[in-house]
Amino acid sequence: MGERTRERVLAAAAALERLADRPLKFMEVCGTHTVSVYRSGLRSLFPEGLSLVSGPGCPVCVTAQEEIDSLIRLSAMEKVIVATYGDMLRVPGSSTSLAEARSSGASVRIVLSAAEALALAMDTPNRIVVFAGVGFETTAPATAAVVLQAARQNVENFLVLNLHKTVPAVLETLASDPELALDGFLLPGHVSTILGLSPYLPIPEKYNLACVVAGFEPDQIMAGITLLALQKRSGVFSVQCAYREAVRPTGNPHARELLETVFEESDSNWRGLGLLPRSGLRFRSAYSAFDARIRLGISDVPAREPAGCRCGDVLAGRISPFGCPLFARACSPETPVGPCMVSSEGSCSAAYRYGRGEPS
Amino acid sequence: MKPISLSQGSGGRQSQRLVSAILEATGETPDFPLEDCAFLEKGLAMTIDGYTVSPLSFPGGHIGKLAVCGTLNDLACRGARPLFLALGVIAEEGFDEDELLGYLGDAAGICRQIGVRIVTGDTKVVPKGQLDRLVLTTAGIGKSSLPKTLGIQSIRAGDSLLLTGPIGLHGATIAALRYGLESEGLASDCAPLWETIEGILDFDGLRAIRDCTRGGLATVLCEWAESSGLGMEIEEAAVCVPAPVASVCDLLGFDPFHLACEGCMLIAVSPEETEPVLDRLRQSKYGEFASRIGIVTEKHPRWVTLNTRFGGSRILDMPVGEILPRIC
Repeated sequence: MGERTRERVLAAAAALERLADRPLKFMEVCGTHTVSVYRSGLRSLFPEGLSLVSGPGCPVCVTAQEEIDSLIRLSAMEKVIVATYGDMLRVPGSSTSLAEARSSGASVRIVLSAAEALALAMDTPNRIVVFAGVGFETTAPATAAVVLQAARQNVENFLVLNLHKTVPAVLETLASDPELALDGFLLPGHVSTILGLSPYLPIPEKYNLACVVAGFEPDQIMAGITLLALQKRSGVFSVQCAYREAVRPTGNPHARELLETVFEESDSNWRGLGLLPRSGLRFRSAYSAFDARIRLGISDVPAREPAGCRCGDVLAGRISPFGCPLFARACSPETPVGPCMVSSEGSCSAAYRYGRGEPS
Repeated sequence: MKPISLSQGSGGRQSQRLVSAILEATGETPDFPLEDCAFLEKGLAMTIDGYTVSPLSFPGGHIGKLAVCGTLNDLACRGARPLFLALGVIAEEGFDEDELLGYLGDAAGICRQIGVRIVTGDTKVVPKGQLDRLVLTTAGIGKSSLPKTLGIQSIRAGDSLLLTGPIGLHGATIAALRYGLESEGLASDCAPLWETIEGILDFDGLRAIRDCTRGGLATVLCEWAESSGLGMEIEEAAVCVPAPVASVCDLLGFDPFHLACEGCMLIAVSPEETEPVLDRLRQSKYGEFASRIGIVTEKHPRWVTLNTRFGGSRILDMPVGEILPRIC
């Protein structure tokens, strides 16, 4: 497999060399793409005219500062255990992080799934387990499924701090940003397995932008970028799928049904992008008993991002990680200032681990 | 109060900082750059290492084997024939004596095979709960008869970088056990490499040798680059990553270049003697899969770059934070 993958990568690089005779600017909106591009060294193969900027594709990173603070406040409440994916632990809040809160006595457990958080709740009936529901359409159905299970089994001490966000609306925001001036999107493979292709259709139609769903292997990413460049060259824009082995045009109706049963569309607060309409999920009233905000009476308090931190600009594609004055100086994986350096899928973390030394 | 974090024990940059702080506190000024063992006088070499691994026993080895191989290898790295070993045992109350004697019996057997004597030792038992079962410490004394000193200061631009075997086997084996993963075909590479190294010591072009333990191959390469002021350029395709190691890494999000090896060494050698050294290594007991993985370069001083197997290139850095604590 190795040699053929390499040949395909190099063939795509040669094709891009020809196609990038004028400047091309694409955005990837999935943290797994970001890491794969850096880790496999693809950036060194891009022709000069091609730039691939990272968008808001890391779920931990796009969680707003106010939301992080709410989660930390919950962890300090009596009887509460916060159950979270490990990446959230070190994200700096306004005054502290979950990891620091844990050192000072807050109950915080790392879980690998929503189901594990539910199991924890069932094992500790005298405590209230709050699951930090972070992620896009890929992880939200799993949260929904677990909420339905908790409802069936009458588990009353399992709550969710719902931080889930949805992808299509944010793409439209980015597509219409004249400063960003994108030529197209490398669309997320995982999210598309759930959504299918139709939610992306307005982007080529309304904004004349190229759209390609790509897989995560280096040759799949290079093929996806080549297709984007070809669309741009032809001037005919559409949503193409270059990840047919996993993505069906209709997506995964069962997962979407789970989502629609438990959640409804809502506005959502994104780090760097602010409050965006129709870009999040909130509990339907039938399931509000699982909503940690309602049950524990917590609401987000306006917060400022860490001084000097440009994570918001990085997430919105306005600057690259190298454009942040803190990058690799005050901010490194050992002493992260913002979430993009904390999360393993964050673009600053990937740029730090694999991309330093490259011209920015 | 400055709590020591687990990541300071992972062998990467944070470990380096702890070592520097200790040196400062002790007022000692060793010869820099720091190597695997220190030379005292007339080729006399000394080293010490503590061992704490969970689980204590694993496919390919156990804490006793680890404790002698690690220390003997640290001497071998600088061309010193291992001669004497001191052994310290700290056991938790209630630990099975037979299990302890089993580990130490095997360890002594390895020493005998290569003519090393365990000449002094110490035992302590601590109350239950104050230690996780068993910690071993070994100090080793060896002697080098080489006319020159192997080490980072001898590395030159243009030198070849050789690896004596596949990477990541020890770290992946321990990780698979810890996380309950299928570990079929996976065993630690823990081995005494003196005989492998002894076979190449007569080459004049030999510059430096280092075993790729905690922090893995990437950490050694970065230390060499940063201490020598030269660049290291590695071909990913030339580095052997066994399939079971790659799958453990995929599942747990580890980089095989960051995983510990306990029977694999990085060697810098002059370009002229690259092939004969490789031939000699491949005939040796643990060097069957020796390969040339890269070169030392004046380009990108102090950085390690990796030409990926997909044809791209990127930097290779030390691990940050804790990968997997208590592995060796």
